[in-house]
Amino acid sequence: MLDLLKIEYKKLIPYSTFWVIFGLFFLFTPIVFYGFGQVKIDAFPIDFATMYKFPNVWNNITYIASWFNLLIGMLLVILICNEFSFKTYRQQVIDGHSKADFIISKILLMSSFSLLSTLYLFIIGFFFGSFSGGEAPFLTDIKYLLIYFIQSLGYMSLGLIMAVLIRSSALSIILFICSIFVESIIRLLVPDNLAQFFPMKIISNLTPFPSPGGVQVANMNGVITEAISLNTTLIIAIIYIFSFWGISYVILTKKDIN
Amino acid sequence: MEAILNINGLSKRYGKVKALNNLSLQINRGDIYGILGPNGSGKTTTLGILLGVLNADSGSYSWNGKAPSKYDRKNIGSLIETPNFYPYLTARQNLSIVCKVKEVDESEVDSVLSIVDLINRADSKFKTFSLGMKQRLAIASALLGNPETLVLDEPTNGLDPQGIAEIRTIILDLAKEGKTIIMASHILDEVEKTCTHVAVLKLGNLLTYGPIQSVLNNQEQIVVASENLDGLKLTLSQIDGVSNIQQVGNKLSLMLATGKDSSYLNKSLFDKGIILSEISIQKPDLEANFLELIK
Ligand SMILES: Nc1ncnc2c1ncn2[C@@H]1O[C@H](COP(=O)(O)OP(=O)(O)OP(=O)(O)O)[C@@H](O)[C@H]1O
Ligand SMILES: [Mg+2]
Repeated sequence: MLDLLKIEYKKLIPYSTFWVIFGLFFLFTPIVFYGFGQVKIDAFPIDFATMYKFPNVWNNITYIASWFNLLIGMLLVILICNEFSFKTYRQQVIDGHSKADFIISKILLMSSFSLLSTLYLFIIGFFFGSFSGGEAPFLTDIKYLLIYFIQSLGYMSLGLIMAVLIRSSALSIILFICSIFVESIIRLLVPDNLAQFFPMKIISNLTPFPSPGGVQVANMNGVITEAISLNTTLIIAIIYIFSFWGISYVILTKKDIN
Repeated sequence: MEAILNINGLSKRYGKVKALNNLSLQINRGDIYGILGPNGSGKTTTLGILLGVLNADSGSYSWNGKAPSKYDRKNIGSLIETPNFYPYLTARQNLSIVCKVKEVDESEVDSVLSIVDLINRADSKFKTFSLGMKQRLAIASALLGNPETLVLDEPTNGLDPQGIAEIRTIILDLAKEGKTIIMASHILDEVEKTCTHVAVLKLGNLLTYGPIQSVLNNQEQIVVASENLDGLKLTLSQIDGVSNIQQVGNKLSLMLATGKDSSYLNKSLFDKGIILSEISIQKPDLEANFLELIK
């Protein structure tokens, strides 16, 4: 297993797109987080006074960082589609990997991405929290980091399916993004109590909109519906993620490698 | 003889196209097996199935008598159609990834790069390579781990004459070490110069297979003439090792058993009182034989 991840990083470290995208994420997350606190948009019912303080900082930083999930998801899609367009997936199967090895490699890769960005958020959050001196010990509500970890896995797992299904970078990225919007349109057409269980809805709800009143979920129209608890959301999200992985594997085994 | 590969009734279709039709073949240890056939005859399809990248519709195969698994493939050096590497990585970085996949020690990278004469470009990016250099790198990659079996699909594709000769030498050297080589090609000359056995495919059907001499009939023919053609014919039929006597115009063509040469023939005839007015050796027209075969 570890060998598979080592191979992934041998491919990744000399790849400039990887550095650019993670560079953007590392650079803009703290900048946007800081800027958000300065601009103080009225439309956001956030308690700006305490937004950097423990424990609120964890909910807030993961909420902001979740805007960049698509960026890292796109990186994953590009990396997987490269394996198809360079035919290196084919070559690695010829040289002695199984199709399962391929999927496991990519799951390990995305998990390492999620871990990397979660650790980074921990550092950023800790930094902001320490400098604005909240009352609570910093471990309170740190669960938001775990939830963020699962969320970023969720986006990348959707990217995985798109990539193995479509195989071309450009088209996969377009569909990756479209599928999120298409789902939100479909959700408008079905009853709310069903819509809230849709995969991208569940996954995006993992980093809930921070509000002083606690966790509440607004749908597209801004109507607050009865929320599923965060724990339930987490469990459903994990189930979705495992299904995405399984579906991707099934797609690969059915298809020839050309 | 020990079977390295058994193929039992493999078939594969792409929509209406029958790419492979019920192929059965056995390949033994030490064979250099050529798979010969015109474009689109199913060579790559066959090798793709054998290396786990294409799913056959029906039929089965086994390497070393075992059900197919990724572990067989780690011990097979393969080059299928095009060289596949990461364009932004150097030759050395690319091969080091292959080593990891094959679970081979990375110290081998430099030695295989030397064999294909790429060692001084080891740190150039793959995308900067010429077509022939890419092909050489793919051959280097197939040599990693010193595999017992090599599967090569048009290994000299894109190489210059010197490169073709070099690859041929590499293949023959490997064959001398007792390795098994399965090589697809549509270049008859390539197969004839390197292979011990050949299978001929056309439109997915196996037309014929076996040792190369028997399939391609590549024995030299001896053409002789004498004033007394009938006497010559009669006498020839009494000489040990002469076969396939045929009249061509006012000459006779024949084949000699291996180990006998034209001076042996000349002397034998002379001893029986026949003086030849002409004796010549004719190289076989493989091209014609092959074209006849796949017609
Ligand atoms: N992915 C594919 N989709 C549809 N048809 C295919 C595909 N791959 C191969 N074929 C068809 O299968 C047949 C056999 O192709 P294959 O590549 O095995 O031929 P080949 O003997 O390797 O030819 P060449 O000498 O040109 O390399 C051809 O008719 C080809 O068009
Ligand atoms: Mg081919």
